[in-house]
Amino acid sequence: MPDRTSNGMQCNEFDLLLSDAVEGVLSGPELDRFQAHARTCKTCGPLLEEAEAGRQWLKGLMEVEPPASLVPNILASTTGVDSQRLRAMSRAPQPRVSWWEHVQASFLEPMWGVVRQPRFAMSFGMAFFAISVSLTVAGVRPADLAQISLRPTAIKRTYYNTQARVVRYVDNVRPVLELQAALRTFKRNVNPAEPGPAKQKERKNDTTQQPEQKQERNYSQTGEKLILARGPVGPFDFDRSISDPSNPDLPVVSVTTYRRFV
Amino acid sequence: MEDVQVVAMLVRRCIAGDASAWEEIVQTYNRRIYNICYRFAGSADDAQDLTQDVFIKMYRTLSSYDASKGAFVTWVTTITRNLLVDHFRKTKQDRITDSMDTTASEHEDAQPLSEQIPDQSAPPDARVRQREVSETVHQALGKLSPELREAVILRDLQDMDYKEIATVLRVPEGTVKSRINRGRAELARLLQRTYRQVM
Repeated sequence: MPDRTSNGMQCNEFDLLLSDAVEGVLSGPELDRFQAHARTCKTCGPLLEEAEAGRQWLKGLMEVEPPASLVPNILASTTGVDSQRLRAMSRAPQPRVSWWEHVQASFLEPMWGVVRQPRFAMSFGMAFFAISVSLTVAGVRPADLAQISLRPTAIKRTYYNTQARVVRYVDNVRPVLELQAALRTFKRNVNPAEPGPAKQKERKNDTTQQPEQKQERNYSQTGEKLILARGPVGPFDFDRSISDPSNPDLPVVSVTTYRRFV
Repeated sequence: MEDVQVVAMLVRRCIAGDASAWEEIVQTYNRRIYNICYRFAGSADDAQDLTQDVFIKMYRTLSSYDASKGAFVTWVTTITRNLLVDHFRKTKQDRITDSMDTTASEHEDAQPLSEQIPDQSAPPDARVRQREVSETVHQALGKLSPELREAVILRDLQDMDYKEIATVLRVPEGTVKSRINRGRAELARLLQRTYRQVM
């Protein structure tokens, strides 16, 4: 790139004047020198053309219209209120509101809005169903509830009536229970040895059928566990070993436990 | 562009808590800020969010505006530019110098820019064509590096003078001029290449 042309203008000087020339503010002999350099310089000439073309493209760009919601959003996010709406509301005459309408608007309408939600309605329905089933099972009828008297004398009478009903029930049941007890005693006397319970007990203690499962459930370590480390040196005297707890000549018993690694 | 006294009074009223003064500021500058954001960010949604952020920042820092240091519009544009730089860093948009055959949109099915150029030989409607050309230039603008883009936006779209641009960008006037020249030239090259492909 030639740094200086015959007209005496350098490329960096051309670059500085380029924007003025493109915008049409360059005039006089400076413009002549500029144009002469553009004609002769192979770098600066195309640069001038491109800069002019680029400016034309940019000038052709239309200004875009902001969305209508922009200003209200800005006002709401800065001052916290929509000032236009606020102004319109302050200008409009305020209708007279009764206390009932105020309560309705403040409490009842929001509550009704919650009640109308399907989730709430479903929960309410389920609760009503559960309560009605429970009352039916308990023998409570709605017709009876209507006849309930809450006077003290009536409550007292209900209490005594209920107590008498319970006492009567126990009196009626007592002969039956006594008869059942007598029958059990008679059966025991007739068949004194009943193998049933003994067998059950035996079976309960018997772990030989499934030794591994039993151990697996109760122990968590594998290995041979030596309970006593020392065996009898001479002939084993069982009676002595039993009678003397300090006797070291005890039999060696080894217990094997199993562990299943899961 | 602005009467300094009027704007200073407006700002004082606003700082004193006059909501109508703030609304007047918003009404006056929202269009300008939105356009800067739209041309820089490239999308209407981003522009709306950014414009809102600019006004929120303005509202919070309005008391720091000093009329003796410069025009209000320069102060507003500086805030806008700073937020745009933050946005640019956040979205990690790299300097785009690739071919215009690459898609401008992140959507996979988006057409390359060269395919979106309208056929100029048979324009169906002048207004539609004008809109399409604008869209093409807008997309090409988005392909400029951010330094060049912001310089040409402030000069050619916002008509700011070089001194104001130098204040906003915090660079010497010579650098501003150089960036504007290079920005214009690069934009022209991008568009010439695109139209050459179409023709």
